[in-house]
Amino acid sequence: MPEYSLQINGKLRTVTAEPDTPLLWILRDELNLTGTKYGCGVGVCGACTVHENGNAVRACQIAVYAAANKNYITIEGLSAAGGHPCQAAWIEEDVAQCGFCQPGMIMEAAALLHQYPKLSEAEIDQVMSQHVCRCGTYQRIRKAIHHAANLTPKKAAK
Amino acid sequence: MIGLTLAFHFDGSVTIAKTSTQEFAPNAFIRIGTDNVVRLWAIRSEMGQGVRTLLPMVLADEMEADWEKVVITQARMEPRFKGIRLRTSGSGSAVGTWTPLRKAAATAREMLISAAANQWQVKSETCRAQQSTVIHVPTGRKFTYGQLAAAASTLPVPAKPRLKNANEFHLVGKPVKRLDGKSIVTGSAVYGLDVKLPGMLYATVVRCPYLGGKLISCDPAPALKVVGVKSIVPVHTGFSGGVAVIATNTWAAIKGRNALQPVWDKGPNASFDSDQFMRELEQSLSKPGFPVRRVGDAPTALAESPRKLEAIYEYPYQAHAPLETMNCTASVQAGSCEIWVPTQAPEAAQQEAAKLLGVPADSIQINVTMLGGGFGRRLQVDYVLEAVEISKAIGKPVQVMWTRDDDMKHGFFQAPKIEHIQVGLDAQGKPVAWLHKSCGPDLSVLGLPTEQDRKNPNFYSDDGMPWGLFDNPYNFPHQTGDFVPVQSPVPTGPWRAVMYPSTVFARESFLDEIAHTSKLDPIQLRLQLLAPGDVLDLKVQKVDRARLIAVLRLVAAKSKWPVPPREEAGRLWGDGIACNVYSDDCYLAQVAEVSVSKELADIRVHRIISVVDCGLALNPLGIEGQTESAIAWGLSAALGGKINFKNAQGQEHSYADFKVLRIDQAPHVETYLLQGSDTPGGFGETAVPTVAPAIANAIFAATGKRMRRLPMTPEKLQNA
Repeated sequence: MPEYSLQINGKLRTVTAEPDTPLLWILRDELNLTGTKYGCGVGVCGACTVHENGNAVRACQIAVYAAANKNYITIEGLSAAGGHPCQAAWIEEDVAQCGFCQPGMIMEAAALLHQYPKLSEAEIDQVMSQHVCRCGTYQRIRKAIHHAANLTPKKAAK
Repeated sequence: MIGLTLAFHFDGSVTIAKTSTQEFAPNAFIRIGTDNVVRLWAIRSEMGQGVRTLLPMVLADEMEADWEKVVITQARMEPRFKGIRLRTSGSGSAVGTWTPLRKAAATAREMLISAAANQWQVKSETCRAQQSTVIHVPTGRKFTYGQLAAAASTLPVPAKPRLKNANEFHLVGKPVKRLDGKSIVTGSAVYGLDVKLPGMLYATVVRCPYLGGKLISCDPAPALKVVGVKSIVPVHTGFSGGVAVIATNTWAAIKGRNALQPVWDKGPNASFDSDQFMRELEQSLSKPGFPVRRVGDAPTALAESPRKLEAIYEYPYQAHAPLETMNCTASVQAGSCEIWVPTQAPEAAQQEAAKLLGVPADSIQINVTMLGGGFGRRLQVDYVLEAVEISKAIGKPVQVMWTRDDDMKHGFFQAPKIEHIQVGLDAQGKPVAWLHKSCGPDLSVLGLPTEQDRKNPNFYSDDGMPWGLFDNPYNFPHQTGDFVPVQSPVPTGPWRAVMYPSTVFARESFLDEIAHTSKLDPIQLRLQLLAPGDVLDLKVQKVDRARLIAVLRLVAAKSKWPVPPREEAGRLWGDGIACNVYSDDCYLAQVAEVSVSKELADIRVHRIISVVDCGLALNPLGIEGQTESAIAWGLSAALGGKINFKNAQGQEHSYADFKVLRIDQAPHVETYLLQGSDTPGGFGETAVPTVAPAIANAIFAATGKRMRRLPMTPEKLQNA
C-alpha cells in the first residue's frame, strides 16, 4: 500500500492506505479522528464535512490520493478547546439532540460564515440544506448561525 | 475504613452490603468520593431526547449537588445495575424514573446532612444542603460532600426520605442545557462507530436483499483479493443472515463486501410489492378483526343516520434512517463477552447474546455508547447479535458497521396501515356514530399475533392497542373501534410514536372532513365532542378531556383561529388543526400554517404552533426541543419519502431517494406549555402524530383538496 502525506489540523500526517480510500476513513480509522462522521458515504447528508483549504467539502467523496497538498481541518481542529464562534453559538443555543450530524453542520456553518459574514436566510437555506438532521434541530441551527455571525469579527467579504 | 453500599431496587426495597472503600455509594446511581466529585450514572440511552442530562439532573436537584461539577457516566449492563431498567422506549424514561431517582437522591442528601450534624453535634434540622455542601445555618460552618463521604457511608439508611416540594427545585422545571453539548461540538462524543479497541477488526455484512430469502452460496475469493480483507464468515443471526467480510479497516470491509457476488434463493415472497400490499390491506377491511372499543350500538346508529360519510386513509412503510447507521463492537472471549453498542435495549441485547453464546447473562457486559438517533430502530438487537457471532467466529474483537444502503433496506420498519372511518351524522350534521377500523401489521416483527394470542378477542384492547383508536378521546354516543392484524414479510417494529401516526392521521383528518361537510368550525367541533371535559376511563388509560380542551383553546388563541384561507402572491394559504392525547399523560394541539402554489406544484409548511400539556415539564428547553424534533419527524413522513419494496427488494439507498426534512423546508415552530398535572409526562414522541393531519387539514383549507394517502406530494395534490 502506498504512503500519503496529508496536512490535517495543521500537522503533517503520514498514512499507508489504498489510493481510493476516502479521506473520511483515513481520518476515522488511520488517524483516530472520529469527530468526522459517516452518515451515508455518498455525499448527500453532510455528516463527513471537513474544510479543504477553507472550503466545506465531503470527506467521503475525496480519495486519499487526491488529498495531497491541501490543508484539511476537521471538527477537532476547528478550535483549541471548542471556542470557535460556531461551537460557542451551538452550545449557547443548545442546538444538539443526538448530535451526530452537528460536527458536519458546524464545519459547514464555519466555512459559510468565514466567506459570508453577512448571511441572508436564502444563503443559510441553500448551503445548510445539504445536511440532514434526523432529530430536526434546524430551527436552533438557524438561530446559532445568526448568533455565531454576531460573535464573528467582521471582515471584508472575499 | 469500611463503607456501606446500598443497592436501591425499583420495587422500593433497599439492601445493604459492606464495601471497603471510603466512597459514599448510597445506590447504583450516585458515588461521592473524598475528592468531592459527585458522580452520577445515567440509566437510559441518550439518543437526542436529553435523558443523559435530564435523569442525572433530577438526582442532582434532589440531592443538592453542584450541577456545574457533576460527572456523568453511562450505566452499563453489569451486576451493579441488575434489576434496574435501562431499556429506553415508550417515552417512559422521565415518567418511570422520576420517583425512584428522587428517593435515591433524597436518601443520599439526608445521610450527608446527618453526617454533618453528627460531626457538629447539632440537630439535622439546623443544617441545609446546597451545591454539594452541608451548611450549619446558625453558624455558617460548612462541610463539602467529599469531606462527609466516609462518615455518611456508615450511617443507617432513612426509610422515608423527604422529597423536595416543587418550589424547592432549582434545576427541575428550568431550562437546563445538554451536558453533552461541549463533547458534541468538539467531536469528542463517543458514538458506537467511534469505539476503538486494541486489535479490533472491521466488518460489513452482505444480507439477503430478498425479503424472506436465503443464501445459497458465496465465493469468498473476490473479497479476499481486496487489500486489507482478512476473512469471510457466514452470518446466521440478524433478520436475514448473510456473509460477513472482515478487514483491517472499514473501507476494505466495504470494498470486499462489494466484490462478493452471493447467490440467493429469493424465497417465498419474491414478487412482494409494497404498493400492492397497501391494496391488500384495503381488501382486509372486509375482515371483522379484533374488537378494540365499543360504545353504544354504532352499526345501528350509522344505518339510521340521515347522512353518512366515510373515508380510507393510507400510511405506508416508513424507515427510521437515523444519521448513525446500525453498528456494534463485540469482543467475545472464552465464556464471556463485552459489547459496545448504541442500543435502546441493553437487557435484550444481553439476554440474546447470552443465549447465542450459551453463557450466563451476567458474563455479557454491555457498554451503551451515545446513539446517533434511535427512534425505536435500536430496540432491535439484530445488529448486536451479528457482531457477537462474528467476533466468536474470528476469535477477535470486531466492529460491524452498516452502510446507509444496508440501513435503508434492512430495517424493522414502521408498519403500514389502512385506516377506514365511517360516521353517521344527525340532522344538524353532528357525528353520532363513529366506526374506525385499522388494518395492518401489529407491533410484532411479522405483524401477526401468535396462534395462542389470536384466540383472545381482547388481545389488543387489554393493552390499549391500537393507540389513537383505542384511546379516541371524543365523546361519540356510539362508537366502534376494530383492528385487523395482517402479516407482512417486511420486518416491522416500533418507530417514533409507533401506532399513533396512522390512526391519528385518519382520525384528525376525518374530523375536519365532518366539519367541512357539516359547516362546523373544526376546533368548535372538537370542543363539542370533548364536552363535558370529563375523564374518560378506559381502565388501562384515563383520558382527561378537560386537558385536551385546554390545549385546543390555547392553540386557537395563539394561532388567531380561525384564519380564513386566502390567496397571496400566487400561493394558496390555509391553516389546519389536529390534536391528540399520548398515552394519557401528554395532551397536544397543533395548528399548521401551509401554503401551496396556485399550480399545486409545491407544498410549504410555514409555521406550526404547538400547545403542549406534558404535566410537569422537567426541562422546558428539552420539551421545546422534542416538539421541534417530533415535528421534523412527522413532517418527513407527511411530505417526504416512504419505503418501497418491489420484487421483494428494498428500493431506497440513502437520503437522496428517501426524502427527509432539510433546513430549507423546515417550518417555524412555536411551542407553548400548559401544566395539567404535577408529575412529568413522557414527551419524546408526543408531537409526531398530529403533524400529518394538521398539514392535510391546512392543505384542504387552502385548496379544497383532501389528501388521504401519505406522503402528500404535489403530484397527488394535482390529481386529487
